[in-house]
Amino acid sequence: MPTAEPVTLEQFIADLDALQQQASDAFAAATDAEQLDKARVEFLGAKKGKLKLIQKSMGAVPNEGKRDAGQKLNAVKQAIQQGFDSANERLGAGGGGDAKRDKTFDSTLPGKRFRIGKLHPITQTINELKDIMGRLGFTPADGPEIEDDWHNFEALNIPKVHPARDPLDNFYLSVASKTGANDSVPELNVDSPLLMRSQTSTVQIRVMENRQPPVRIVSLGRVYRPDTADWSHYPMFHQIEGLMVDQKVTLADLKTVIKLFATSYLGNDVPVRIRPSFFPFTEPSVEADYYWDGKWVEFGGAGMVDPNVLRHVGYDPDKVSGFAFGLGIERLCMIRHQITDIRYLFTNDVRFLRQF
Amino acid sequence: MIVSQKWLADYVDVSMSHDELADRLTMSGLNHEGTETVGDDSAIDLEVTSNRADCLGHIGVAREIAVLYGTQLKVPDPQPKTNGQSIGDHCKVSIESTDSCQRYTARLIRGVKIGPSPQWLQDRLTTLGIAIVNNVVDVTNYVMFECGQPLHAFDFAKLDGGQIIIRKAKDKEQFQAIDHRTYELNPDDCVIADASNPVAIAGVMGGADSEVSDSTTDVLIESAWFAPLSVRKTARRLTLHSPSSFRFERDVDAAQLDWASRRCCELILECAGGQLLDGVAEAGAESVAKEALTLRHGQLSRILGIEIPAEFIPQTLTALGLEVIKTSAESTTAVPPSWRKDLTREVDLVEEVGRIYGFDKVPDDASVPMAASGRPKADRVLDRIRDVLTSAGFDEAVTASLVPEKWSDAYSPWSDQPPLTSSQPMLGVLEKASQNIGTVNLLRRSLVPNLLEVRRINEYRSNGDVDVFETAKVYLSDPKGGIPDQPTKLAIASGCGYATMKGLIESLLDYLATGKTVTVEGCADPLLDRDRSARLMVEGQLLGWVGEVSQSGRKLFGLRSGSTVAELDIALLESLALLVPQHSNQSTFPPVSRDFNFIVSDEVSWAQLESTVRGAAGELLESVDYRETFRDAKKDGPGKKRLLLSVVLRSDDATLTGEQADAVSTRIIERTQKDVGAALVG
Repeated sequence: MPTAEPVTLEQFIADLDALQQQASDAFAAATDAEQLDKARVEFLGAKKGKLKLIQKSMGAVPNEGKRDAGQKLNAVKQAIQQGFDSANERLGAGGGGDAKRDKTFDSTLPGKRFRIGKLHPITQTINELKDIMGRLGFTPADGPEIEDDWHNFEALNIPKVHPARDPLDNFYLSVASKTGANDSVPELNVDSPLLMRSQTSTVQIRVMENRQPPVRIVSLGRVYRPDTADWSHYPMFHQIEGLMVDQKVTLADLKTVIKLFATSYLGNDVPVRIRPSFFPFTEPSVEADYYWDGKWVEFGGAGMVDPNVLRHVGYDPDKVSGFAFGLGIERLCMIRHQITDIRYLFTNDVRFLRQF
Repeated sequence: MIVSQKWLADYVDVSMSHDELADRLTMSGLNHEGTETVGDDSAIDLEVTSNRADCLGHIGVAREIAVLYGTQLKVPDPQPKTNGQSIGDHCKVSIESTDSCQRYTARLIRGVKIGPSPQWLQDRLTTLGIAIVNNVVDVTNYVMFECGQPLHAFDFAKLDGGQIIIRKAKDKEQFQAIDHRTYELNPDDCVIADASNPVAIAGVMGGADSEVSDSTTDVLIESAWFAPLSVRKTARRLTLHSPSSFRFERDVDAAQLDWASRRCCELILECAGGQLLDGVAEAGAESVAKEALTLRHGQLSRILGIEIPAEFIPQTLTALGLEVIKTSAESTTAVPPSWRKDLTREVDLVEEVGRIYGFDKVPDDASVPMAASGRPKADRVLDRIRDVLTSAGFDEAVTASLVPEKWSDAYSPWSDQPPLTSSQPMLGVLEKASQNIGTVNLLRRSLVPNLLEVRRINEYRSNGDVDVFETAKVYLSDPKGGIPDQPTKLAIASGCGYATMKGLIESLLDYLATGKTVTVEGCADPLLDRDRSARLMVEGQLLGWVGEVSQSGRKLFGLRSGSTVAELDIALLESLALLVPQHSNQSTFPPVSRDFNFIVSDEVSWAQLESTVRGAAGELLESVDYRETFRDAKKDGPGKKRLLLSVVLRSDDATLTGEQADAVSTRIIERTQKDVGAALVG
């Protein structure tokens, strides 16, 4: 192998500086990936790249200059590589140029969605109301939907002759006839009729029967009345009912809680009013209205728990007093979401459900 | 109750503005529902609650106004002239059915001339929207709307024997009413009869035969008290509702019968002429005087939360018609008037004083004490269940609790007791296409049939991805009687397959931090595919069922596409759920994974293989993960399958060595070979 012409250290360093400059110019001049790649092969090519060639000529540098030559070579090598990397970045991934871009990618295509189910609007309304009541100190209470005469009527001060007990106005349960005939038509058990509860006030009785005041509960759930379904009626619907009993609970407390409730629900400081009404289980009884959009809107029925009800659960009406109020959930839900037909709520067309 | 403003002016000053009056009435219990102008009069529509029968006449409403404004109430004092003949010689009244008629009175006017009513009377009835008939009938209506007491005029000549007998109808007794339709009566109905036949259904409707007509000359005026329940039952059964039955149903004032009768006769004499006979043909007891009530004034602030001046109390009670017997700074004792049957207790007087004083004076910024509120575990768990389902893409449905027999019979996994039956059906709750299915009168024992109907409806409407769930009670009758069991269930329905549904349930148990796994048992329910269905157990307790709907099930519910359903017991989920999971340290050392490919016979279930692997792996085991099932009859022979699985091992205190992992592998291979005949491939 012929020995190369000797090269002075100075010459070698000058050659390297020139190469670095050339490479830097070439990388800067590249305007697309192709040109840049050409420049890369020219300067950084593994076999015939100019850097490789100069590296070979280092053997011709006198021994005493080898150490400095080596250091310089490494520095230039790094600089050229950096020059290439930044040019590459400019043209490709990070830069505004066209190099390395994937022109097949369409960022306007729809995203891959996660299908997330929706809670029924009734549940959403209930959750909202329950949440508000919770903040006002009312704890949720649950009770059976099939109730007995005592909890649905008697304890609530609804006497035997009251129209609310009419068999046509309630889902009483039939029992097999006592005569024992197999094919006998089921008939009403008149002694202790069971029925689908017609109001959630039943839960009040169950809670008070088992606990001494103070009581602050909210009961929610399905109730049943045999209306034929139409746009505004359904034989099953939901109610929310609040009950507070303690030593000194007054109508002013009731009005205050209703005011707080309405303000929380509607998100504004809304005026409320109470006006006399009639319910067997409260005395005085009131209707509560809130003022919205220039008119009074019915909120729900309320009142001070009737002394007979307190007595029926074993409380002394001279020692404790309480209030109760109840609202129909469907009506609130329909106003809230501008739903025009109550039957939509129970048809469960998924397009309907997914709106909320 | 519609009242005429001009008519009210007969009894009380109504010179205040209409809007102010309407507002005051609303705020004291007669909710103003609207006002229409009729001629030069205003028809004011007021909602009268069922306890206030006294406000079903103009005088009652006028009394409220007089009380609210502190003005004078003027009530007429009718003293019609009589002709000296005694009614007793011509007419006899007897009550056989004392439970439905407490008191009956009749007056007789002879020689009336039937014709049109005077204009003023016609105008007033027209304002109320009441049809004009003739002078006698119009007067009876007028007096009813004046005082709330319904009255009836009979053509006296048509009453056989001049007799009035209040009795129960005979079974299947026929009766032709004023509307000229024939009604079949039964012994629950109370009728007014003459010596031979019924001439009126008590409190509900008069008869065609004894109706006042142009040729009538003698009229018998009935003023009576009929029992509310009796009137309501009959009116409802015959669907004969009228302003009269409406008032009887709300318990008319028996003490007012004579006043109403005299008033009616006075106006008939004025409008139709004739001569009133002396006296009253009557039967039944006079109403008993009411008991005095004492209102402790302290109760007002205790119940209402406002201070009401002591002098306001007797003054208001007196204005309302109570007779104040005694009053002091501490209490007032008073006897309620006969027309206020709703006033029987102290608290009723609290309401009276309060509502007249004004509930608008009750503050809405009382300092209600704070109280801690909690959320029961059932509530929280239910929320988490809903979170999982909605996150998984399931929409929540709410469906009716009553179902037709066909659905009830189709699926009842929780009980083999017959469904509970409602005496009333739910009407109008079925979609059009399902309306011929049957009467909706059975309490559901499962939510699944309703969700299959939801899938059918959506399928019919070409809606995609009908994945739905519902949480609601089911109703399971108890053969021992008592209030039936009403556990809450979670039902899920989807177009996905068995594995996805099962996976969802497993994820649910994970999310609830139960730390428990579900095991399956066979299930043979015709609604579900025999093989692709299972009974789900958690530690020996029944969690529920999952399965793909069978061909016959799909047909039964009119489903075109496949459905998978599940129903779980929420009480069990609640008891298993851990609301506040506890931390345990996570190993910081790397896991080692070993894959296995076992050949086993088809009878060996994944569950068997997995439990064998777990048993063999020992304490280094972190997880056993199923990969896939693969069959190659050529290589492995018939009835064989390959189960591929990965075992992940990890130690809490050191990096595992290859030797440690290999030792576990060897144990697994030996044990599976021995216990389930598994052969390792390769």
